[in-house]
Amino acid sequence: MSTSKVGYDDVYDLQSKRLSVKKPEVRYDKQGDMADDERVEKAMLHFVKDFGSMAATYLDTCVHCGICAEACHYYKVTGDPKYTPIWKLEPFKQAYKREASPFAFFYRLLGLKKKLTVEELEEWQHLLYDSCTVCGRCSLICPMGIDIASMISLARHGMFKAGLVPHELHAVAERAEVDGSPLGVTPTVFADRLEWMEDEHEVDINVDQEQADVLVVMSSIEIQKYPQSMAATAKILNAAGENWTFRTDGFEATNFGMLSGNAEWQRDMSMRVIDAAVKIGAKKLILPECGHAYMALRWMGANMYGKPLPFEVVHISEYLAETLNSGKIKVNKVDTSVAYHDPCQVSRRGGATQAARDVLGHLGVEQREMKPSGDYNWCCGGGGGVVTIHRADDLRYKVFKIKMDQVEETEADELITSCANCRQTFDDGQEHFHWKYTMGSLLELVAENLEEDKQ
Amino acid sequence: MELLDFARGPALQFGLYAFVIGTVWRILGILLLAAKPDHSAARKAGGFMAALKVIYTRSFTADAFKQDTLYPKILGYLLHIGLFVTVFLFVPHILFFKGLIGLEWPGLPNNIIFFVGVITAGVGVALLVRRLTNPVLKLISNFDDYFSWLVTMAPIITGIIIPIRFGVRYETLLAVHILSVALLLTWLPFGKLAHAFLVFFSRGTTGLVLERRGAKT
Amino acid sequence: MKQKPTLGEVLQAKGVSRRGFLKYCAATASLLALPPAMVPRIAQALEAARRPSVIWLSFQECTGCTESLTRSSSPTLEGLIFDSISLDYHHTLQAASGEAAEAARHAAMEENRGNYLVLVDGSIPLGNPGFSTIAGISNVDMLTETVADAAAVVAIGSCAAFGGIPGANPNPTGAVSVSDLVTDKPVVNVPGCPPIPTVITAVLTQFLTFGQLPDLDHYGRPRAFYGQTIHDRCYRRPFYEQGRFAETFDDEGARKGWCLYKLGCKGPITYNACATVKWNQGTSFPIESGHPCLGCSEPDFWDDGGFYRPVSTARIGGGAAFGTAVAAGAAIGVAAAAMSRRRQQKTIKEG
Repeated sequence: MSTSKVGYDDVYDLQSKRLSVKKPEVRYDKQGDMADDERVEKAMLHFVKDFGSMAATYLDTCVHCGICAEACHYYKVTGDPKYTPIWKLEPFKQAYKREASPFAFFYRLLGLKKKLTVEELEEWQHLLYDSCTVCGRCSLICPMGIDIASMISLARHGMFKAGLVPHELHAVAERAEVDGSPLGVTPTVFADRLEWMEDEHEVDINVDQEQADVLVVMSSIEIQKYPQSMAATAKILNAAGENWTFRTDGFEATNFGMLSGNAEWQRDMSMRVIDAAVKIGAKKLILPECGHAYMALRWMGANMYGKPLPFEVVHISEYLAETLNSGKIKVNKVDTSVAYHDPCQVSRRGGATQAARDVLGHLGVEQREMKPSGDYNWCCGGGGGVVTIHRADDLRYKVFKIKMDQVEETEADELITSCANCRQTFDDGQEHFHWKYTMGSLLELVAENLEEDKQ
Repeated sequence: MELLDFARGPALQFGLYAFVIGTVWRILGILLLAAKPDHSAARKAGGFMAALKVIYTRSFTADAFKQDTLYPKILGYLLHIGLFVTVFLFVPHILFFKGLIGLEWPGLPNNIIFFVGVITAGVGVALLVRRLTNPVLKLISNFDDYFSWLVTMAPIITGIIIPIRFGVRYETLLAVHILSVALLLTWLPFGKLAHAFLVFFSRGTTGLVLERRGAKT
Repeated sequence: MKQKPTLGEVLQAKGVSRRGFLKYCAATASLLALPPAMVPRIAQALEAARRPSVIWLSFQECTGCTESLTRSSSPTLEGLIFDSISLDYHHTLQAASGEAAEAARHAAMEENRGNYLVLVDGSIPLGNPGFSTIAGISNVDMLTETVADAAAVVAIGSCAAFGGIPGANPNPTGAVSVSDLVTDKPVVNVPGCPPIPTVITAVLTQFLTFGQLPDLDHYGRPRAFYGQTIHDRCYRRPFYEQGRFAETFDDEGARKGWCLYKLGCKGPITYNACATVKWNQGTSFPIESGHPCLGCSEPDFWDDGGFYRPVSTARIGGGAAFGTAVAAGAAIGVAAAAMSRRRQQKTIKEG
């Protein structure tokens, strides 16, 4: 296992608008002490591992039409062709042609596809990590129906094994694997912060119950930066009369194993939550306002588990919609207009696009859709782990401009999302551009306007 | 007539064999690679119908992308419609297919086919110009893209020339046309032109994977 | 040696008017695509021409070519022209037989050494010289001997020009064309099964007029008659362009005289003058009577996969071979996938 050069103490920059490790004085974007040849070898070998029939179908069907560029915010704001989504997969594609395609034998025999160089892979580190949020807009524009975003995630596996992950992303992933949180939230820290919220918001918070119907998890971003989310969640679950609990042995929803490309870590991180849920006999796992957690646990969790999960997995926005639709909780009407920002992994990639809109409907707000919105929404620019990478900041601010224009065009009073990672990206962008809009949380909006007498 | 005999006989035969072998080879070579089961709880019914749905729906551009992709999409549609009309609705071609598979269908008058052929050739040139000038396409294009363009355009161009003649004997032009088709058939399953059949698997896979999530496909 | 009468004298003796003769010359000029100014020259040359000696050899043939020339319901001008040459040897037409006939051939060769024309119909069997003999002489020997001192050779009909029906697959007699054997003399091919009589005489006329052979295409055919396809000059061509086709021989399309392409018409790849010169004194040609062109003036027309198969049909093998192709593709595909999977397994084990 490669080792990070980042120490444990003083690593996190918890005062900034977006959470990550502190901006490194010296960047270590190559992990481990492998020779260059060995890195290339590793990358190839682990690319090969992912060449199943799905990847093969996708990689073999591309006709190089270049249309995917038009879906990518990085291409749109820079006009630089290297940000063309399918080009970000070029080394992965080359490896496929050479190692696993139906004609691989001839490619190798005739030397038609050259082996990659470590310089190329380093160049592609920028393309696969710094400038891809795995938002999946390209997957929707592709005339061949190629799910480019899922290929990016696969390609990151080889990059990780080759020790070619951006410094910060590798650091937070490693912290998450070792400590159970990418941002230093140890079980003790978590318990402390829950206690603090319990006092601050005068709400009963269930922790470490032996048995519960519902297991609720949180993202470290919320625990560290938006702790009121925990109180809001507790308030709503109590109001709905759920038999629920947090668990200090399985609370972290984020999965930086997945974002950084370490498949083993991804499994470890998912299994902590799954094991906890199984242990308490949960019938339902409620995921917090976190986009990629939805992908990791709702859609990939069972595959980490190796069989169907014995419980239901829902995003908090889905839970809110469900309880509001059934009347288990009620909310007061709010006289405001809201522009809702769809988290890519929940809406476009996850299929829960309607849930947030149902919730906003119950709140009676005037919904002002961005253009485009919902499944075709522009990404905030912080997904896929990009928000952690300091060197990607300039580019991230550029793509954030798209978002700002979209939001301003709605002239809505408030801006709401249901993803803490989007939220911190907006907070950071707001600070950078001295923007008037502050991103709000759907969960908190519901909690603030809960009809208390219903309890 | 020797060249025509060679074209209609051994050359075409070779092309058809290469086409059949290459197609089966490529499809099985892809589909028989490892596949992982998806254990996640489906939100919506997926399966075969989901695959069919995306195979159909992805033929059309989502509203959100229409403006930015208008030009290449128009060219793409024209090229494919043009290829369909000229390949499948020209009576001598229909008779060729009848000889191969025994089925026959109505065709269109020659002047319409010729007109469509000229448009299609023009679209092909426009696509090449785009590939040579658009920064994205310049970057991502490789030998396959240019060679596939060539072998696709060759039958269109040679087909258009046949009625014009340019003083060359008919059967020579016909032979060259058929030879270009043999080349196209030989190359089709091995290069990117294989999207002619792979597109169904690619779109279908996306239908299978994403439709059950209830995600946008 | 008695001076032979000129052609003009012969025609006059036969009662052909000056006006009729000039009409023939004009028609010939137009057939040969010569300018009208050439008509008097043709007339002058023909009138002055001495009856040239012609030796006609018939090998593996059906006499159809001779029939084409001679079987007219009424005597034609070209028939008379033909009568006017000194046909010194012709199996079917000559009165002499046996030794006398062969003696006539030798005499003609002797008298006109270097100046006589040899016309050949029928192909020459090389499989066994005994397959076809005349007076005990094999066809190949007779051809070789006869053309040795000839001015030129004209291969009449598709058998002589290309091997024709005797040469069709599997060619049991090993039949070959005249040009396969005669390589040191000019050979003019006048193919067709049979050729149009007017075309035969026009070629002879040109030789008599200008003392030279016509401009030939790559199959040795006079361009004047074989320069355009039947399809290009066909009166049904507009129906082809409109996509109106007869589907069967008795459907509405057939009755309305629509294009016969779907019924296997070889017009598009057949070079001949049928559509313009026509047959039976300009009465009609096969397509006019509702039958597709067979392509009889093209090499190997008999072996083109069937008279009723459309031109654009592929000339390829059957379905069994494609089953093999599918199986081969499947085998390679399975092997390729298996190889890739094995490499993957190895990778996973090695971590």
